[in-house]
Amino acid sequence: MTGARASVRLSVSSLRAHKRRFAGTFTAVLLGVSFLAGTLVMGDTLRAGFDTMFANAAGGTDAVVRSTNVVTVSGEGQGTRQPVSTTLVKTIEQTPGVAAAAPDIQGAGQLIGADGKPIGGQGPPTVAGNWIQDPKLNPYKLAEGRAPSRSGEVVINRGTADRGGLKIGDTTVLRTPDPVRVTVVGLATFGGEDGMGQATYTGMTQADAEKYLTPKPGEASSIQVRAGPGTSQQELVDALTPVLPADTEAITGQASAAENQSMISGAFLSLFTTLLLVFSGIVLLVATFSIHNTFAIVVAQRTRENALLRALGASRRQVLGSTLVEATAVGVLASAAGLAGGIGIAAGLQALFPAVGFPFPDGALVISGISLLLPLAVGVLVCLGSALLPAVHAGRTAPLAALRETAVDDSAASRTRAVTGVLLLLAALGAILIGVLAHPSVWPSAAGAILALAAFVVLGPAASTYAVRILGAPLDRLRGVTGALARRNALRSPKRTAATATALMIGVAVVSLFTVFGASLKATMNQTVDRSFAGDVAISAPVFGAGGSGLSPALAPAVGRLPEVSTAVGLGKGVAEVNGAGRALTVTDPAALARVFDLGPVSGSMNALGPNGIAVSGAEAAERGLHTGSTARLTFTDGKQQTFTVRAVYDRSELAGTYVITRQAWAPHRAQDSDRLIAVSFKDGVSTADGKAAVEKTAAAYGSPDVQTRGEYARSSAGSIDMMLTLVYALLALAVLIALLGIANTLTLAIHERTRELGLLRAVGQTRSQLRTMVRWESVLVAAFGTAGGLLLGGFLGWVLVKASEGAGDTPFAFALPPTRLLVVALVGITAGALAGWRPARRAARLDVLRAIAAD
Amino acid sequence: MTTTIRTGVVAAARVVDAVKVYGTGDTEVRALDGVSVDFPAGRFTAIMGPSGSGKSTLMHCAAGLDTLTSGSALIGDTNLSALDDRRLTLLRRQRIGFVFQAFNLIPTLTVAENITLPIDLAGERGDREWIDALIDTVGLRDRLHHRPSELSGGQQQRVAVARAFAGNPDVVFADEPTGNLDSRAGQEVLRLLGRTVRRTSRTVVMVTHDPVAAAHADEVVFLADGRLVDRMPDPTAERVLDRLKAFDPSPGATAVTP
Repeated sequence: MTGARASVRLSVSSLRAHKRRFAGTFTAVLLGVSFLAGTLVMGDTLRAGFDTMFANAAGGTDAVVRSTNVVTVSGEGQGTRQPVSTTLVKTIEQTPGVAAAAPDIQGAGQLIGADGKPIGGQGPPTVAGNWIQDPKLNPYKLAEGRAPSRSGEVVINRGTADRGGLKIGDTTVLRTPDPVRVTVVGLATFGGEDGMGQATYTGMTQADAEKYLTPKPGEASSIQVRAGPGTSQQELVDALTPVLPADTEAITGQASAAENQSMISGAFLSLFTTLLLVFSGIVLLVATFSIHNTFAIVVAQRTRENALLRALGASRRQVLGSTLVEATAVGVLASAAGLAGGIGIAAGLQALFPAVGFPFPDGALVISGISLLLPLAVGVLVCLGSALLPAVHAGRTAPLAALRETAVDDSAASRTRAVTGVLLLLAALGAILIGVLAHPSVWPSAAGAILALAAFVVLGPAASTYAVRILGAPLDRLRGVTGALARRNALRSPKRTAATATALMIGVAVVSLFTVFGASLKATMNQTVDRSFAGDVAISAPVFGAGGSGLSPALAPAVGRLPEVSTAVGLGKGVAEVNGAGRALTVTDPAALARVFDLGPVSGSMNALGPNGIAVSGAEAAERGLHTGSTARLTFTDGKQQTFTVRAVYDRSELAGTYVITRQAWAPHRAQDSDRLIAVSFKDGVSTADGKAAVEKTAAAYGSPDVQTRGEYARSSAGSIDMMLTLVYALLALAVLIALLGIANTLTLAIHERTRELGLLRAVGQTRSQLRTMVRWESVLVAAFGTAGGLLLGGFLGWVLVKASEGAGDTPFAFALPPTRLLVVALVGITAGALAGWRPARRAARLDVLRAIAAD
Repeated sequence: MTTTIRTGVVAAARVVDAVKVYGTGDTEVRALDGVSVDFPAGRFTAIMGPSGSGKSTLMHCAAGLDTLTSGSALIGDTNLSALDDRRLTLLRRQRIGFVFQAFNLIPTLTVAENITLPIDLAGERGDREWIDALIDTVGLRDRLHHRPSELSGGQQQRVAVARAFAGNPDVVFADEPTGNLDSRAGQEVLRLLGRTVRRTSRTVVMVTHDPVAAAHADEVVFLADGRLVDRMPDPTAERVLDRLKAFDPSPGATAVTP
């Protein structure tokens, strides 16, 4: 008992005495915990906000009547559902317990902003529908102006109006995808917010909606029903079910709202929070290395103190205990501060998001027990885990060590370490070889990646000696003895140098991994266009997410009639279940497609698929057991089934998709009609510039979609990849920052150790600026080592990821190392090292010469 | 109290009316209380005195490691109080050599690199012949590429002596250079200092509390309570011990080598 109390007392006094040493540890834990807590709180708050929003929006709808025919393609959210007939509204209204019913038509419609550019379309959906007159059944509420009453009048949600600079009375264009001139007559809110996230909404009259958004009049996506007084939602559904035709169902309003909610929570929020959680994991991993290093150094510096305690009769357990208590204290304090920081971050984002046009649902922050306990526990465990080994070391201090000079552990790599490291590396390579070459798949590759990381960490001390020697070689010539001193200081304790650099290495490795992967994606796109696209220009709708309204199906024939054009083929999108599994179909003119795309070797012919023939990609055919001449049963969203004959099997699916079907075959089953891509090839002798200008002129009448040359088309995906990379860089900046704090902290501790040496250097004539240079270069060397290791590891793992992805999918994947970007990463790492050394260097230069020489 | 200014002998370093006060009010300590002394060029001078007599402070101020409260310290004709930190550092590098009691060498540098450290810091080539001769004088030619941790304490101090002289300084200041050595190794270092002064007309100022060490010098100056109290040319250990006894009723306490 008293022993434990003594441990605690020792820890408290030690913490008080070495506040500065623990500042770095404290900050690292604080930042990591803040990130984690912020993510959790923000996730909960967003989820609660969306729940409230959907509950508010759908509050007046007691039942939804819809078709039971739905085709879901894996990887796509909600699936495509067959429309219902609006004539059902009458039947429903006459059912007892029903107060009102209204058809709900939902399609895609992209608004053009005041600046002539489309609003949104990069991700969130662009919804257009009929404005439901019954305010209780309409999830959108009129906030300003009035409801549309004449053809061409629309209500749009306020968020969209703000983003597009539109106001009541403005006339603009709605692409459905055919351009429709519309006048804004009202602004609406959704569930009390300016919109449903970033989704845009346009409400038209019912006649307009039927005209532009449905393939034939008299159809709606669903029918919204309101119950009369005293009828519960379930009672309403029970009353409706018997009167509905086959293939039609009624669900309660609550169930419908829950479906929508789970779509948002599932597709968007989970992805978002998972991403952030992964990054807080990386941040905490980096922090762990940083903190472990600090404890190791502090314990080494206290060897004498601990030995004295042991000599005076403190037990091994008491010394160990005091170090662990210290770690716990730092962990608890820093985690508590981190919790506050995390809640602050969430509150800040809540305030910031609306400012950048993302409606963050109102309402108080949701702080659940988990979002408090989990980060707290993780913070304390990270601290305790990091301190465990150093604490055991401290406990093992022999009482005799009190009499020796404080010895810094300058041993390089032990044999065991080298052997372990090499074994780990071999295991990593083995797993990766299996994952990449033998049985391409992600799991062995991921295991290999983790093993490779472990190998790098274990081999760090051995590598640091060589790496610093090589990296620092130019320093002697560049900076003379100051440079030589910097280099040798960095070489002094290989374990410490390696541990310090490891944190940065992990950060840089993840950055380079994403950089390499992003560049490979771009290279893949280039390669795809190069080998599969034989046309001259492409007209494309946004390819990213569910946004946009696609291209008018009338555009391809119009372009095809141009004198410059030899072939123009539009690719539309359809869905169907092929032998029971939901699949996306490419709806097109297959013969023309084969002229503009290079499909690779084709068995059979694309020229005569007809109304009952399909073409399949080779990989899909192999997987589903299809071949030329075999048959496949397709079930469409309207519930109809038809047997098709496979007339062609083609090799390259990256642009054409896995199934190709004729427009003729698709026409009876189509919904709102649009093309996602139009590929155009010019007649011989027509220059790309002339041809492109002619196509653009024609396209102007169809809402001016982007007309891209082959190169532009290949690069069009680069924008979204760069956006993703920017987000990743921003998130990883925190990890790099923590790693740099670690370097600064280690340097500060090292300077403390070397006080006398620094005093001596100053006495024999080292100027302050030479001393600062020396410390900064040491910092740069450590950072350069970490950066080099990170680039190597990240580049390698990038290659593994690319190869594993290629193996897992059936499209070829190009590997690319972007030299400029990687050079920038290297420069940032090294410059950051110089910055990390700034403060320790200044502190060192300020040492009083005499006192430093006399220091203990 | 009385200072003898030898005419005709140039002072390599001197202090004039040197006052150094630590603290203020009740805690005020006058470490130096109006000391004027010159350290003639080409001579080996020892500074002696009981603990707290101000001998270390005098050396630190004369060497530009510490600043005087009033009065002046000069190296040759250069008044140290007029120099900023940078110029003072350059002066230490070019015109002063140091030998400290312990921890004289940079552990990451080899013996050879430690010897040329001040010259290397200046980015100069230095006088290679002179350095070569020094290395032979201190007898460490076979250890040039060793690290300090591979040397004995005496060897380390000899490297420090070589470093102190390497840049051809105006004056070498030695602060208890034998304080951490056994008597045999100490003797070797002292003989080395004396030999270098006499053979090559260098100037050495050494602070010591050991009469045996002081006996190696050409002259001993005695300090007590921050004042210069005596000078003794051509000292011997016995005479120095006797002189010290006069300061203190129990001279053994300060005069015995630890």
